[in-house]
Amino acid sequence: MSDVTATVPHANGTAHAKAYRRRSAAPPVDVFENADELLLVADVPGVGPDGIDLRIDNDTLALVARRPGAPAPALVREYDEVDFAATFRIPAGIDAAAISAETRNGTLVVRLPKAASARARKILVRPRSGD
Amino acid sequence: MLTGWTDFDEPFRALDLLQRRLDRVFDGLPDPAGGERLRLRARPAWPATNVLETPEAFVVKAEVPGLAEGDVTVSVEEDALVLRGERKADVPEGYRVHLRERAPVAFTRTLPLPGRIDADAVSATLIHGVLTVTLPKAREALPRQIAVKAV
Repeated sequence: MSDVTATVPHANGTAHAKAYRRRSAAPPVDVFENADELLLVADVPGVGPDGIDLRIDNDTLALVARRPGAPAPALVREYDEVDFAATFRIPAGIDAAAISAETRNGTLVVRLPKAASARARKILVRPRSGD
Repeated sequence: MLTGWTDFDEPFRALDLLQRRLDRVFDGLPDPAGGERLRLRARPAWPATNVLETPEAFVVKAEVPGLAEGDVTVSVEEDALVLRGERKADVPEGYRVHLRERAPVAFTRTLPLPGRIDADAVSATLIHGVLTVTLPKAREALPRQIAVKAV
């Protein structure tokens, strides 16, 4: 667990940074890849689409997922209602403008499509006329 | 004689080493039932659960990211709340794995009821991967004000 301000760079000043000054934890993450895209799945229970802040800065993808409401006192506490924060380095060959994300039952699914030039291509071999 | 800070580290390093050796020993124990090797290291229960109290009810919250409505059942059995379900987190078809931190898990969690409740009035919601079970307190368990009459 760490302070989000330590992990997420903020471009626009302290007021912005202050709003984040809540405890946070890195969510468990799966990363998959196929020929067309990278697929990132993070567990962010309690967070809907409104609570997600995804930022792309050059080759960095910064995720902050904020839980709504304040934690209430509990009789038994096995988890803390902390926010989630993580940063990822976007590998070369990703079309950053085409990155998309959605929330699904408390998970965040981020799709990072590969740039057309980075996709594996099969070169079609044609016989030359006369061969 | 102390020659530097490394001398302080030594006992801790020894303890750490011991811990790791013990882990290895326990990991290697054959299962008496003849199945997989025994794993004695504690794993946190899944799903993680908080229990809250309001004047009228107990509220149980469980973190179940990835679960949809049909993936979990909630029941009150004897004097326990039982959560059962399965989180499938399969690798999507045709994808290669780079990083895997979200484990697929099938679970049964039996949580002792924190007090007397009205089992017929229990309700549950599942929002954004958090299961919230509201267990209204039994009427006889609610605080009552007794009127004092002057005689």
